[in-house]
Amino acid sequence: MIGGGRLIGRLHSFAGGDMSASTLILVLIALAALGFFLGRSRALASASGNAQALHSRPHFYGANAALMVLIPSLALFAVWTVVAPLSIKADIAQSVPSGLVDEGKSLDLLMTDVRNVAEGLDRAVVAGALTSDAALSIDTETTDVRALLGGVGVALGANVGPEVLKLAKTYRAKSASSSNIMTGLVLAAAMAGLAFAFLRTNKDFRARNTVEATVRATLIFAAMVAILTTVGIFFALIFNTLEFFQLYNWKDYLFGTTWHPHSGGGSDQPLGLIPLLWGTIYISLIALAVAVPIGLFAAIYLAEYASPRVRGTIKPLLEVLAGIPSIVYGLFALLTVGPLLLKVFGNEGLGWMQGASSVMTAGLVMGIMLIPFVSSLSDDIITAVPQALRDGSLGLGATPSETIRQVVLPAALPGIVGAIILATSRAIGETMLVVFGAGAAGKLSLNPFEAMTTVTAKIVSQLTGDADFTAPEVLVAYALGTTLFVVTLCLNVIAQIIVSKYQEQYS
Amino acid sequence: MFDQPSNLAPQVETPVTTDHKITAENVNVHYGDTHAIKDVNVKIDDKTVTAFIGPSGCGKSTFLRCLNRMNDTIDICRVSGLIELDGEDINHAKVDPVQLRAKVGMVFQKPNPFPKSIFDNVAYGPRIHGQAANKAELDEIVEKSLRSAALWKEVKDRLHAPGTGLSGGQQQRLCIARAVATAPEVLLMDEPCSALDPIATAQVEELIDELRENFSVVIVTHSMQQAARVSQKTAFFHLGELVEFGETGQIFTNPHDSRTESYITGRIG
Ligand SMILES: Nc1ncnc2c1ncn2[C@@H]1O[C@H](COP(=O)(O)OP(=O)(O)O)[C@@H](O)[C@H]1O
Ligand SMILES: [Mg+2]
Repeated sequence: MIGGGRLIGRLHSFAGGDMSASTLILVLIALAALGFFLGRSRALASASGNAQALHSRPHFYGANAALMVLIPSLALFAVWTVVAPLSIKADIAQSVPSGLVDEGKSLDLLMTDVRNVAEGLDRAVVAGALTSDAALSIDTETTDVRALLGGVGVALGANVGPEVLKLAKTYRAKSASSSNIMTGLVLAAAMAGLAFAFLRTNKDFRARNTVEATVRATLIFAAMVAILTTVGIFFALIFNTLEFFQLYNWKDYLFGTTWHPHSGGGSDQPLGLIPLLWGTIYISLIALAVAVPIGLFAAIYLAEYASPRVRGTIKPLLEVLAGIPSIVYGLFALLTVGPLLLKVFGNEGLGWMQGASSVMTAGLVMGIMLIPFVSSLSDDIITAVPQALRDGSLGLGATPSETIRQVVLPAALPGIVGAIILATSRAIGETMLVVFGAGAAGKLSLNPFEAMTTVTAKIVSQLTGDADFTAPEVLVAYALGTTLFVVTLCLNVIAQIIVSKYQEQYS
Repeated sequence: MFDQPSNLAPQVETPVTTDHKITAENVNVHYGDTHAIKDVNVKIDDKTVTAFIGPSGCGKSTFLRCLNRMNDTIDICRVSGLIELDGEDINHAKVDPVQLRAKVGMVFQKPNPFPKSIFDNVAYGPRIHGQAANKAELDEIVEKSLRSAALWKEVKDRLHAPGTGLSGGQQQRLCIARAVATAPEVLLMDEPCSALDPIATAQVEELIDELRENFSVVIVTHSMQQAARVSQKTAFFHLGELVEFGETGQIFTNPHDSRTESYITGRIG
C-alpha cells in the first residue's frame, strides 16, 4: 500500500499525465491477476504448502482476491463515469453568465456547444494541432477556434464566442481533474480490496463460500439490470405518453378511425390509432397465414421424414435465411413481389390494386421472411419429442402421419405455440419491410391490395425529420410505442397462459 | 392381408405347423457393420409366454423388434432371414408393417403414455384401426382393456385425467392396456418391469399370466427369476446367437449348453 502513491505517479507519467480508461482497466486486470497469485500462495503458505489442510481449493483463495480487486474498483469506475459528467455540467451551468442564455438560446444548447468545444480541444491536442499548453491559453482574439476544430473533424454550428470558450476551458479543467481523482480512487479501491483479501486469507478462511456468493450476486445483478432497463424503458415511454395525452384527447387517439397528421395541426388533427393497428394486424395475419403452415410443414418434413443428410443440409441453410436482415426482404417486396402482384391484380389485370405497395405485398414477403424462423424453431421442438412416444404409436400400428398428428404434434404443441407467438411478435414489430412494401398511408380498409401502414412504420415517420418535441403529431409516436409495448406484452401473457394450461394437463 | 392365399413367396409353401404362432429361420440383423443377430431360429407358440433372457447387449431387443418390424424405423438396420406369422412372411413386400403391428402389439421398456387422457391413450389403437363402430363400443373396449391390465379400478373415476399423471407402475399397465385394446394376436414386451417397483412388477407379472389365455406373449427380461415365474418357454441369447431354447423348467434346472449354465448360475452377466 505504501508503494501505491508512487505507483500511481509512475502510471501517470507513463500515460502522459492522464490515464485513459482502457489503460486503467488493463491495470486493474493486472492487479487482479497479481491478487490471484498472492491470494493463492498466501493460502498455501498458511497451510505450509499442504493444499489438503485448506478449507477450500487453493484457486478459490486466488479468485477471492481477484474479485476483491475488481468488483469495488470497477463499480466505482462505472458510477464515477456516469455521475461525474452530470455533476460537472450542473456546476458549469451555474456559472453561465445570465446574459448568454437570454439571447434566445436554451441552456441545453449552450451546454452542448461548451461540451463540443471542450471535446474538440481534447481531440486537437491528441491530433497534434495544439500543444496542451496552447489549449489552456487559447483565446478567441488570436485564434479562429471554429476553423481549428473543424480541421480536426469537430464541426460546430456557429462561431465560438469568448464566453463559450471560457466555459469550455473550465469544463476541460474540471473533467481533467475529475478523471485524475477517479483514477486515484479506483486504484486505491483496487489496492484496498487486494489488501483486504490478502489479510483475510488464511487456511481456515472459507474462500469457496465467499467466491460462490460473489458469483451468485454478480449473476443476480445481471438479471436485475435486464429487468430494470425494461422497467426504465417502460417508464420513459409512459411519461412521454402522458405528455401526449395532455395535448391530445385519449379517446380521439384510441378510438379515432382516421390518421392524418400535419405539422402545426395541434390537437384537432386526426391521430386515430385504429387504422394503424388494423394495418399491423392485417399484415401480421397475412404473414402468419403464409409462415405458419409452410414453416410447420417444413419443420415436420425435416424432423420426421428427411434423411440425416438432407436434414444436415437444409437445417443450416434455413438458419442462414433466418438471419437475413429484414431490409433485404423489404427490397424484395419493393422490387419483385409488389410489381408482380400489380401485374396480376392491378389495372391491367383484375383491377383490385392501384400501386405496388399493399398489405398483401408486405404480408406475403413478411410471411416468407418468417418461414425459416418458424420452421427452424419448430424443428427443434419436434425433434425434442421423445422417440419413445413415436415408437409407442408406431408399435400400435399407427402410420407415420397418424403418429405425427396425434402424438408428436400434441406433445410439441406448447413449444409450437411459443414459436408462433414469437413469430407474431416479430411480425408486429417489423418496420423496414412495411415501409417498403405496404405504403405510408394510415387507412382503414378490408381490401388487402390497398396500401396501408403499421404502428411501427408510423413511429419512425413521426420522429424523423425536423421533429418538434412539443407537438402532438410527434409525441404521438410515444403513445404508439406504448400501445405496441402493451399489445406485445398481452400477447406474451396469453401465450404463457396457453402454454402453462397445456403443460398442467399433460406433463 | 394375412388371410389371403399363401402365394406370396416360395418359402411360404413349405409346410408349417399350426400351433407355432411365429417361426423365425436364419434371422440375421446388422446395424451398419455391427452384426447384432446371428442365424437365429426360433418357434413361438400360441397362448404361451416365451421369455428372452441373456446379458445386456446380446440382441434380445433387436430380435424382439424384428417380430413386428419396428426395426424398419431405424435407418441403418438391415434384417434378413425368414420370419413367419401364421405361416405368412412378415417381411414380404406385400405386407404392410402398419397392419402387422396392429396384430403384433408392443410394450416398451420405459412406460411411454401419450400426452393424452387415460381414455384416449387406450382408445388410440381402436380409433386408428376403426375397431369400434360407435362410442358405446369404444367405451366397452376401453373398459375391457383397462380391466385386463388390472388398472380399471384405479382409474375408472378419472378416465379423462392425463395418462402422464399416473405413477410409473400404473403408466406401464396403461401401456399394456393400450396394446391389448387393439386386440393383437401377439404381445411383445421389452423388459416391461425394469422401471417398476416390486409391487408394480408383481401386478404386471400376474397380468402377463392372465394375458396368456388370449395372446401369445414374448417377454424380454433381465431377471431370471421373472423368466422362471412367468414363462413356459425360454430362449437364451448370447452375443447375438440363440444359444438355447426350450421349456423354461428345463432351461433353468437342466441346461444343455455350458454358456446357459454359466449365465443362470451368475457367471456371465
Ligand atoms: N439403434 C441401434 N443402432 C446401432 N446399434 C444398435 C442399435 N440398437 C442396438 N444396437 C446394437 O445391437 C446390439 C444388441 O442390442 P440390443 O438388442 O439392444 O441388446 P439387448 O436388448 O439384449 O440388451 C448391441 O451391440 C447394440 O449396440
Ligand atoms: Mg434391450
